[in-house]
Amino acid sequence: MDKVLSVGEAIERFVPDGAGLVAVGGMHLQNNPMALVREMVRQYRHVTRLLTSPCGALNADLLVAAGLVEQIATSYVGFEHLGLAPAFRRAVEAGVLRVLECDEAYITHGLSAGAGGLPFVALPAGLEFADVWKANTESYCLVTDPFTGRKVLAGAPLAPDVALLHAAAADAAGNAVLAGAHFVDRSMALAAKTVVLQVERVVPTDQLSRQAVGTTIPGFLVQAVVEAPGGCHPTASHGHYRVDEAHLRRYLSLAASADGALSYLEEFVRGVTEQDYLRSVQAGASVGGEL
Amino acid sequence: MNGGAATPPSGWATGELMAVELARQLRNDDVAVMGTASAIPQVACGLARATHSPDLWFVAGGACGVNPHLAPTVASCCDEELLRSDTVLPLGDVVLLEGRGDVFTVFFAGGLQIDAYGNCNLVAVGDWARPALRGPGTVGLPFLSRVGRVLIYSLSHNPRTFVERVDFLGGPGFLDGPGSWVEAGLPGGGPAAVVTPLCTMDFDQATLRMRLRSVHPGVDVAQVVEATGFELVMPDQVTQTAAPTSEELAVVRRLDSSGVLKGR
Repeated sequence: MDKVLSVGEAIERFVPDGAGLVAVGGMHLQNNPMALVREMVRQYRHVTRLLTSPCGALNADLLVAAGLVEQIATSYVGFEHLGLAPAFRRAVEAGVLRVLECDEAYITHGLSAGAGGLPFVALPAGLEFADVWKANTESYCLVTDPFTGRKVLAGAPLAPDVALLHAAAADAAGNAVLAGAHFVDRSMALAAKTVVLQVERVVPTDQLSRQAVGTTIPGFLVQAVVEAPGGCHPTASHGHYRVDEAHLRRYLSLAASADGALSYLEEFVRGVTEQDYLRSVQAGASVGGEL
Repeated sequence: MNGGAATPPSGWATGELMAVELARQLRNDDVAVMGTASAIPQVACGLARATHSPDLWFVAGGACGVNPHLAPTVASCCDEELLRSDTVLPLGDVVLLEGRGDVFTVFFAGGLQIDAYGNCNLVAVGDWARPALRGPGTVGLPFLSRVGRVLIYSLSHNPRTFVERVDFLGGPGFLDGPGSWVEAGLPGGGPAAVVTPLCTMDFDQATLRMRLRSVHPGVDVAQVVEATGFELVMPDQVTQTAAPTSEELAVVRRLDSSGVLKGR
């Protein structure tokens, strides 16, 4: 079955407006599925609850900047050494974005629970001394360990309705190769009801089956494959290109104000097609790596 | 970043001195783990391995390279360069081992706020529900409760960062002090040292509050006191942090060939 679609068709068909729990893959400034995220913005797809990997970055901040996110489940949204996430920070401080405060252990194990149908996941003793669970009683609660009688922290399973992920390559059936670090992208694919993949290139199945052990996402979990070479830009794509810090700094300086964020969205997202975007950033001097 | 030392008194950058000073806290039998924005602790571990602790292991969380080869050092903990390592673990495995509790002996931590008991906060300043400053989030800091020694580092040393009590407890240190610490019975050993651009601190064994240990070259005690938003425990004698040796600096600069630590 051929699942290859244009970025516009993939979002239109598989991500309903107001989707319940949408996961975005990648971590920090690496492997963010930005072609899919930008298309969400172009199509004004609202997200009831956005889930990041343990560390979200532009993948979350851009959707928040576009005013499309009602709630966010995350343990970090930021730009690491480049600074805080401007739209996320502004929205939370203004009280217009609800945060479901999470920690790395819960996001990681919660996705495994979602993938495996576990009713909840028990977390290691000691984590309850952080304030995280007190701020998010919807995702965490204190329970009694049935074996020891001790109080331990439990987390609800994380089963995204949709996962938007980047992979290095996939065949038309959705069998996919993740290059470099996998972060929690595989877990998101295993736990999500619908998986939309963007890839650097679509390759013939016989090319993948020669490295089947390294083809770690099976196509039966994937609904759509979008060929988007350069589609992680301005974040990095492991195995392909590095982060474009100059472009990210431009985003950060523009998005420091709500008006500036809108002008970024107009110039780089809503006002251009994805193809035009990638052409323009490749033409510019700021591009990092080998797009 | 605000609150660094004034001009470095001689030929090294603040980040380089901090890496050298953190390396001195490490031991040959350590297995260290670190996360977001951890170029300084990565270089510290690389320096320790190249000098006094050749058998130390370190995991650069995010990309999860084990003993990443550095040279160059990179600013992002998820950068592909960190996969040039002895081995690479999936992130999920590192999270499992952090939970296991008897594998990692050192966890490098930091925060927007760090308090007198070594509790860390990367989540929010002010009321969590409507914060004055929303930080990025806590990532793996709740695991501080389970690790042997917590080494805290901060590029900011000012009264906004070093506060009496964190507004949001994201990474447990000694909680509210000796009573609460004993009652909690946490599996980890708690915070061991704090390195900033101004000084190195440890914790007073009786009160579990942060104590000044040494001031860095060119810094005086009054500067540290003024930059700290709580009353530091003062030892009988405050020493001066030993300046980086030429051997230490040579290793740091070989590992950080692109000057990430100098850029801070």
